[in-house]
Amino acid sequence: MAFLSLQNVSKSYGAAKALDAVHLAIEPGEVHALMGENGAGKSTLIRILAGVTRPDSMEMMLDGARVRINGPQDAYDLGLRFVHQELNIVAHLSVAENIVLGRAYPRRFGVAVDWKALNRQALGALKRLKITHIDPARKMARLTTGDQMLVKIAALLLDDGAQAARLYVMDEPTATLTGDESQKLFDVIRELTASGASVLYVSHRMNEIMAICDRVTVLRDGRHMATRALSDTGREELIHLMTGRELETAYPPRLSPVQERVHLSCTNLSTAHIADIGFDLRAGEVLGIAGLANTGQSELLLALLGVDKPKSGRITFDGQTKRHNPAAAWRSKIAYIPRERRRDGLMLTRSIIDNITLPHLKKFTRAVGVQSARHERAHAAQLARDVALKSDSLRQPAYQLSGGNQQKVMLARAIGDAPDLLLLDEPTRGVDVGAKYDIYTLIRALSAKGTAVILTSSDLPELTGMCDRILVMRDGKQHAIIDTTGLSPADLLATFYD
Amino acid sequence: MIQNLKRYGTLMGFGFIVLFFWANLPETFMTARNWLNISQQVSMLAVIAFTMTIVMVMGDFDLSVGSMASLSGITAALLFAHGYPVAVGLLAGLAVGVVGGLFNGFLVSLVGILPFVATLGTLTMYSGIAFLVSDGKTIFGRDIPRDFSGIARSGLEIPALEITVPFLTILALGVLLLVWFLLEHTAFGRRLYAIGGNYEAARLAGVKVRRLRLIAFGLTGLGAALGGLMLASRVASANPTQGSGLMLDAIAAVFLGMTMSREGEPRVLATLVGVLILGLLDNGLTQMNVDSFVREILVGAIILAAVAISSLGKR
Repeated sequence: MAFLSLQNVSKSYGAAKALDAVHLAIEPGEVHALMGENGAGKSTLIRILAGVTRPDSMEMMLDGARVRINGPQDAYDLGLRFVHQELNIVAHLSVAENIVLGRAYPRRFGVAVDWKALNRQALGALKRLKITHIDPARKMARLTTGDQMLVKIAALLLDDGAQAARLYVMDEPTATLTGDESQKLFDVIRELTASGASVLYVSHRMNEIMAICDRVTVLRDGRHMATRALSDTGREELIHLMTGRELETAYPPRLSPVQERVHLSCTNLSTAHIADIGFDLRAGEVLGIAGLANTGQSELLLALLGVDKPKSGRITFDGQTKRHNPAAAWRSKIAYIPRERRRDGLMLTRSIIDNITLPHLKKFTRAVGVQSARHERAHAAQLARDVALKSDSLRQPAYQLSGGNQQKVMLARAIGDAPDLLLLDEPTRGVDVGAKYDIYTLIRALSAKGTAVILTSSDLPELTGMCDRILVMRDGKQHAIIDTTGLSPADLLATFYD
Repeated sequence: MIQNLKRYGTLMGFGFIVLFFWANLPETFMTARNWLNISQQVSMLAVIAFTMTIVMVMGDFDLSVGSMASLSGITAALLFAHGYPVAVGLLAGLAVGVVGGLFNGFLVSLVGILPFVATLGTLTMYSGIAFLVSDGKTIFGRDIPRDFSGIARSGLEIPALEITVPFLTILALGVLLLVWFLLEHTAFGRRLYAIGGNYEAARLAGVKVRRLRLIAFGLTGLGAALGGLMLASRVASANPTQGSGLMLDAIAAVFLGMTMSREGEPRVLATLVGVLILGLLDNGLTQMNVDSFVREILVGAIILAAVAISSLGKR
């Protein structure tokens, strides 16, 4: 029997209906998945639950009594807790201080902070989640992203007493986590549900949903499509519910064979972060970079882009060496999409056009340095069509777009000059199923034209499904290069460990 | 309604100020003579504020423009005092500006010091150098050639309208046009806006961020020097502190302008409105015999009001 139920939740932004008479019911001790493409209304629903956004209409029942949420404090008092995708941590304070942040520090003589008691409290919170490997006295900055997430969850546990937590809402908590770290999170989720709390879990990752969730509610275009038990719902059915179309295969097939010409060649390459990298990449080839988190995948891409300078070894493009800086890289048709697109990729307050044309401004320069705004707009419009970008206008600032469309802006930028080498760092992270498929299709099309692609991903089926070969890294070093013919994600995972 | 107030609040305030002075000073305020006078009064501030816009587009600051203005005026005046021709003094003054600006750029972009700290340091240094080379004295009178002080007094006569447009006004308009063209219509300017939008993203997208930042600070230094020379010409003298008031006003003008754009970015045409608001207040309140301290309080309050209105509705 559901303890929390929402009925008839609607919310409009102008003419657009973000939510249209949606309903949701949560049972005690369940993990309830909330699924849907980007823009389906998941975030709006969560913001309404958190008391950040006011719905146009909503009937909410808790334990059979009508309740209202008029602000974040109401949500808190009702026992709702939120784990956001972005970690709001204070990096230079200790784990314990991050846990008690915003509450009273335990004190001695009424003034001095009682550090022992503080660490004890923090340790208690961590222990409740059966987490023993994190030292409360450590600086938060020195923890892995995954451990930081666990600390944030522990912080939520510290103060349940009077208003015990009933429901944890987790919005893509594994987006920044490795497989190992995700496992720890899932253990924690089991702990939480075992103690009677429920979890509302938002994720694009089908495997996780299947593994840890009991029931699922699917939204599409702001409407409630279905609520099902996951034990009798298949993947295909879920994708169909979310997108309204069939995806025959998750990964589109190669359009033409890899070319013979070697485009990129790394010999014995070492930088401050990686070592002993050596491989040849042929035109049209798709090479995956895999491994446990933070073993140098991103740093390898940064070395190829010229951000990190080589300490030894060499990189040649079509047999020639180039200067090591990003400007020279883009000039020689190397394009790059960073892992953190909001932090390192987008100019959020600037227009889609500005974001797309940034590395290609020279193309539109006429006499005496004058920019041709007309050519620039036409060029950006063409690229936006090529990547199937959905926006109201190309003058829209980038922050107004959904995650999937922001990534398409980055792709449009990357393909703007028909790159010979495309470096993609986690290109489908936080991107919905439909947009993912668009990205895969685009990679295939580029590769057929002879673009060599290097992509990192923590999504193992994506690596085995899209790549011709996979370079496995361990502790910043190249461990192996594997052909993906007949390679299963499980086989790949096995190569990460000794 | 709130959106419009945010967007056009500063422009409406500008209109209100004009109407207010027009009503209170019906005889003198709304005359071509007075407006040309205002344009000349604000011309040095305008030049410095326009070129200040170049670094502020990148999200940077230059606090040293005031002491740079003094230093360039002193440099020119010293050379005049030693008998060098006007052209040499002018070129030397501008050169000092470029070198000082590039030094700011070097500290900010190559050494990596925060612009606030770096230019606070050079503010003090440039001011100290100005005192050192001038012995702390004002250079005036016979040491300043008539050809130099004549620059500020000359103008373009338009007989049909029976007015003379001051040369300093024309100079400021020229700088406005140049900066506008540079920022809005060249790849250089677009890249500066990109750096302001997201420094790391611009760098990873192949923008030569360090070089551009260096050049931008150089241009701001050049503008500060030009403003200082204009001021020295207008008052026909140079002393080591005469430019110091210009820095805060220039930054204030850019801030006032920033309240007029949708995403709060500096635009040089909006900076012009900011400069005019400050200039009109100065002119009108002086004519109304309002105490100069009261004037300062008013200017501060107006800046705060403009910024507050433009951040309405932000979380």
